[in-house]
Amino acid sequence: MTDFVVHAQDVGKVFGAGGGRVEALRGIDVSIGPGEFVSLIGPSGCGKSTLLRLIGDLLSPTEGSLTVNGKPPSQARNDRDYGMVFQKATLLDWRTVQKNVELPLEIMDVDGRAVRAGEMLDLVQLGDFAGHYPWQLSGGMQQRVAIARALAFRPSLLLMDEPFGALDEMTRELMQQEVLRIWAETGTTVVFVTHSIPEAVFLSTRVVVMSARPGRIVDVIETGLSHPRNEDTRESQAYYDKITEVREVLRHEDKP
Amino acid sequence: MTSQDDLGRDRDILETHETDVFAAFEGDVPVGTRTPSALSSRVRHAGPAIVAFVLVIVVWETLTTVFNVQAFVLPRPSVIVERFFATAGVIWGAGWNTLIEAVGGLVAGIALGVIVALATVRWVRVREGLMPFAIAANAVPIIALAPITNAWFSITSPVSKMAVVAVVVFFPVMINTARGLIEVEEEELELLRSYAATPREVMRRVRIPHALPYFFSALKVVSALSIIAAIVAEYFGGPQDVLGQYIIAKANLFVYPDAWAAILVASIMGIALYALVLIAERLIMPWHVSFRAADES
Repeated sequence: MTDFVVHAQDVGKVFGAGGGRVEALRGIDVSIGPGEFVSLIGPSGCGKSTLLRLIGDLLSPTEGSLTVNGKPPSQARNDRDYGMVFQKATLLDWRTVQKNVELPLEIMDVDGRAVRAGEMLDLVQLGDFAGHYPWQLSGGMQQRVAIARALAFRPSLLLMDEPFGALDEMTRELMQQEVLRIWAETGTTVVFVTHSIPEAVFLSTRVVVMSARPGRIVDVIETGLSHPRNEDTRESQAYYDKITEVREVLRHEDKP
Repeated sequence: MTSQDDLGRDRDILETHETDVFAAFEGDVPVGTRTPSALSSRVRHAGPAIVAFVLVIVVWETLTTVFNVQAFVLPRPSVIVERFFATAGVIWGAGWNTLIEAVGGLVAGIALGVIVALATVRWVRVREGLMPFAIAANAVPIIALAPITNAWFSITSPVSKMAVVAVVVFFPVMINTARGLIEVEEEELELLRSYAATPREVMRRVRIPHALPYFFSALKVVSALSIIAAIVAEYFGGPQDVLGQYIIAKANLFVYPDAWAAILVASIMGIALYALVLIAERLIMPWHVSFRAADES
């Protein structure tokens, strides 16, 4: 059991009480092993972001048991097991790219910050932009800085909440390629929330398909696509078949 | 945590920068890098303002001369300037005393405003208890307190004038700074939370830098306001060698050009304080969005 990075058993989350009571998640069972890339996908309101926030200890479950690296999420957070990337890059305007990547290292009082941040910027291929301010970068570049920042302190688990949702399609595909390369280079376990079926299939080792009212897991699909994945993968029959499979599960669940 | 929960957040994705589709394939060209023409563009921007200023002075001079406007209504600019130089020693002496009151009150009011703002963020109860009153008090004509502070701190002491200035300065600084400290993006707080950052770290790394633009916009308002408050406080009595008393004395004697010369001194001091704030702002937060537009065009 402690072999799992994320282990959820019968996890539920209820917001509010009485008339305003909303059951966001019910009976969530999911186990994610080290080095996996797992996407959470489903219609809006299916609780995929809520589940990510439960794993990251930004919210607490109201039912069930949830462990991260064999520990309660709060303990994992205090141990700095999480790197987080949101839909917005959430870079601090007043810091240069370099200093933004150093932020978690400063807070965690890590030595050799400048060198580490430099390595991370090289990893996301932004080494030349260390001295720039966030507003001088394009949306895709900002999001790459956010990824560098999330990985700077070498967390065991990278949580990504629709990180490419605000990017145009072309940039998005480039970023997916980047994230797969970084994932392969660092071996970090990734939980990735998206509402794009092709994105989920292209990136993941497994796709967790969720349904709304209440949010629950309806199916977990192994993508089984070979690595490394590239433009050829996007044009392969296996890729189309998996997209179709995920789509059919989602469509089936959408019917009342 | 409590402070982040009760604030609605704008997660509008449209605000994030749109990436140029072609730039994306050409290796992500950065948008909005600084251009070398920043200085000349600033001069270009200042051009219309200089023209307008000169125009107003010329029209003022011409109309007052042509229509033979009496000096007690509106003296000619040339006469004001002449009196400004003729009485320079006296009016700058009075100006200095007024400046000391203004700056003393300014420093006290800013310090108090910032301390209370920090407290409102640190302790939610302080905020809930204080903010409604602070906002209400901000709408009260605080300047009317001047005769009362004269009674509290002795009419002859500059402290009585500083007290008025400090009260006038306090509220805008406090309310603005508190807003800047509180209205931090939810994601930024979640990010810091994911690092297991202490409240002190959140304050230092996120809230205080985020509040700086709000703080400076308050300073821009109160820097000019402090001179006004000091002069109005002086109108209610006290030592004679200050701008407020000098203006009253000259007006009572119908020597209006001299009163206007003193007002010119007050204006110069107000603009100087404002300019100091602008310079400090540039030095302390060169990254801020308000400096970008001019640099880019």
